[in-house]
Amino acid sequence: MGVTRRRFLTMAGVSAMGAVIFGGCRVPDREVLIQSPARLPEDLVTGIDNWYASTCHQCPAGCGILVRVMEGRAKKIEGNPDHPLNHDPVLHMSKTCARGQAGVQLLYHPDRIQGPMRRDRATGELLPISWEEARAELVGRLRELRDRGASDTVLVVTEPLRGHLGLLAREFVKAYGGQHMAFEALEETVLREAVKRVFDQDRLPDLDLANAEYVISFGSGFLETWLSPVRYGVAYGHLRQGREAKRGYFVQVEPRLSATGANADDWVYVKPGMEGLLALSMAYVIVSQGLGDQEASRLLTRGQGAQYLAAYRPQDVAGAIGTTPEKIEELALDFAAKRPSLAIGGGSAAAHTNGLFNLTAIYSLNYLVGSVGQRGGILFNPAPPVAGLPVAEGRVPFDRWQELTGRLASGKPRPVNLVVFRGANPVHSLPQALGFADALKNVPFIVSFSTMMDETAAMADLILPEHTYLEDWGDDLPEPGPGYEVVSYQQPVVRPFHNTHSFGDELIMVAKELGGSLAQAMPWNSFKEVLQAGARKLFELNRGSVTAPDFDSFWRGVLQRGGWWDTARRGLARPLPKPLPVREDPQFTAGEYHLLPFASISLTEGRGAALPWLQATPDPMTTAVWQTWAEISLEDARKLGVSEGDFLEITSSNGTSLEAPAYPNPAAPPGIIAMPLGQGHSSLGRYAENRGVNTFMLLQPATEKETKALAWAATRVTVRNTGRRSRISKFEGSVRVEALHEVEIVRVTKG
Amino acid sequence: MLVFLWLVVPGPWPITGGLAPRVFAHYFWGVESTLYRPAPDQPLAFSHVTHAGALEINCAFCHRTVEKEETASVPAVEQCIFCHKIISGTGDAAVAEVQKLRDAFQEEKPLNWVRVHRLPDHVQFVHEPHIRFFAQQDPAAPLEATCATCHGDVKTMTKVKQVRSLKMGDCVNCHKDYNAPTDCAACHY
Repeated sequence: MGVTRRRFLTMAGVSAMGAVIFGGCRVPDREVLIQSPARLPEDLVTGIDNWYASTCHQCPAGCGILVRVMEGRAKKIEGNPDHPLNHDPVLHMSKTCARGQAGVQLLYHPDRIQGPMRRDRATGELLPISWEEARAELVGRLRELRDRGASDTVLVVTEPLRGHLGLLAREFVKAYGGQHMAFEALEETVLREAVKRVFDQDRLPDLDLANAEYVISFGSGFLETWLSPVRYGVAYGHLRQGREAKRGYFVQVEPRLSATGANADDWVYVKPGMEGLLALSMAYVIVSQGLGDQEASRLLTRGQGAQYLAAYRPQDVAGAIGTTPEKIEELALDFAAKRPSLAIGGGSAAAHTNGLFNLTAIYSLNYLVGSVGQRGGILFNPAPPVAGLPVAEGRVPFDRWQELTGRLASGKPRPVNLVVFRGANPVHSLPQALGFADALKNVPFIVSFSTMMDETAAMADLILPEHTYLEDWGDDLPEPGPGYEVVSYQQPVVRPFHNTHSFGDELIMVAKELGGSLAQAMPWNSFKEVLQAGARKLFELNRGSVTAPDFDSFWRGVLQRGGWWDTARRGLARPLPKPLPVREDPQFTAGEYHLLPFASISLTEGRGAALPWLQATPDPMTTAVWQTWAEISLEDARKLGVSEGDFLEITSSNGTSLEAPAYPNPAAPPGIIAMPLGQGHSSLGRYAENRGVNTFMLLQPATEKETKALAWAATRVTVRNTGRRSRISKFEGSVRVEALHEVEIVRVTKG
Repeated sequence: MLVFLWLVVPGPWPITGGLAPRVFAHYFWGVESTLYRPAPDQPLAFSHVTHAGALEINCAFCHRTVEKEETASVPAVEQCIFCHKIISGTGDAAVAEVQKLRDAFQEEKPLNWVRVHRLPDHVQFVHEPHIRFFAQQDPAAPLEATCATCHGDVKTMTKVKQVRSLKMGDCVNCHKDYNAPTDCAACHY
């Protein structure tokens, strides 16, 4: 057979094709791979799951969680049905929120920092180093500063720390002689101060929404991210549906229709910062008609009765509040009649220059209806079961950050030579007008314990990545607690996946290597030892949910249950009413529109932005995902000639400006631009970077008058249509209503 | 043309010939031995002759879950280190292999073994009931005798090799011999 050119090509082609076809029949290598893990997990039983009780650390609420672990890998996070904070006492179930569920994504995040690194400031290059080298460098610098008598130029910046980690940080900073500042982007300073003034309490109270008959909430998004949303969500379910033939009534008063407001029976618009005035006007109606408790009415009005509140008659102040006199009367009468009734306030109501006035006026209303310390009202939390255990270690108001920025920038009165950051990202979450990031560049040495390369870690010279909360020991005193003593425990549910260390352990190691008084102040070998020493005190109390004949059984018991609590030890304070505050009006800068930033239900103020599940969680009101948008009223949108997706240039009164697509919302009041917080990261892993804009940038560094907290809702802006447009990615409208055959279309016609 | 294909196209396993001769061998002559993959090279020259043979270590000491679970499981490196932190091996070759093991443990690197016994995805095989059944047949028999039913005399193999076809016919024959269920859903579920 002669091989012709044609035959040769045919055969070559056929054999190549055959090789491709049959080559695909080979069993791929991964199918014949069988892996021996390096370490023998003590709990490894293929196909059998282990559930570990621990504490969530995705937001400051501190809910109890159960983590499902299979073959040494954390698979799923659920609520701990035993835990007093987020359990449902009636249905014996437990809940978590989206942020809690997404905790596993933090554990497996592909952009987690995998080991300690040292930055060359000249080139910005990061070089991996060992933990020993890294610690030696930090200890060397700390020792040098201490020997020079400059230990007060060392600053430790953390999130507000609770439990034994707070205690450890306190000991470290005290023995070394440095400073500790806890950063909280949406700070609760005003609420704490209001609770202190109105109720004489150092701890935040529990809100007994479940047993209330009538709830009026001023600006507090308790079904979103405010304080302890899972606890409030469960209680809200009982308020509405938990009792037979009785459905609690819920009114939300706020300038932007939030997801919480959308759940209300009645949503009442109020001009930004006028919440307190509305509360005073309600008090006038109640007192003048003699509907309030006699003793409380007398004390709240300095014995003058309605005369004391005469300036707040509904017909006189309704215009300033932005509602009608009839509405104020209706709210006041309902509030007084449908007892137990509960008035709560927070969120944007607290974030004005008159925030403290707003909250004191709002919370004082509870005295009028006898809801203080009563079922269905405000319940108090007792002091921590172990004396001296912090519930908010190092928390400082915004003006201290202003002061610090000045100190960083000028080096006066004392320069800052070393800053340690842990769990705080002020570079992202302080207003740009403050100039914190620029001032931070003057610090010769910055250390970060961040698990992810956030904006603050991106400026650090030494990066010492800490474990995630699923790999580390810890404890927590939930704040606000459930009305009785609780200590939650957090235990490692998996072995650390990367070359990371525990922050608590590192503090102890650094103290040991520094020696002297510091080593004496911290005589422990590991953070777990500190926790156990603390747990021993609980064991010695010999009461509460876990009691045991010996400490080892007690320790196993609390780890198994997720914590220790004593329902018999409740906060029993019976504070006396103090006179109602006198009207104060909020101050704003110039600007046509009022900017109302709000915490994203999934990203909070930005901590969740790294996790794709949270990025993809639709905002409840707009269903928008993965971006920042600007809610604007239909009237204003018409005026500016914008429709959905048109980019608005939003310029703050301090000159900073950014662009975001408009979302004209029929429920948005005119004159208000509402924007979610949380996006606009220049650094926080692949899912967060260069996505949306950072609303914090726009904020005017205005402070609440008395507490000096950041008045983050007090900024005014001007708005311009840029002419650019892009589609907002959202679920709403992605399927036309006509296409959903199960939905009956109802046409609403006028008249 | 056909001859050409027969010779050049590589089969599923790298043994002599193309796909076709093996298909013929399998269906017409039932020659099973040609179908088994030769004992593959493993990342470590672990010897069952030493461990299971000379030292008489019980199978379930390393394959910890064989009596409890679906899979027999390969031991974690740490489990090898239980003994090998003391025992360094005799002879240069053995010492070198043990060193590899210690390095893997030190660096926390997993070992990627090549699977020898593999069933297709549509078959479910659970070790636990098989071991239980044979143990009940003869309570005095050692575990290794039970394992040898399917895996052969592993303690004589320097490199582990598959000795039975472990194809459906093989399973069904044995199930018939022992009055075990032969419904489809016994294995295909």
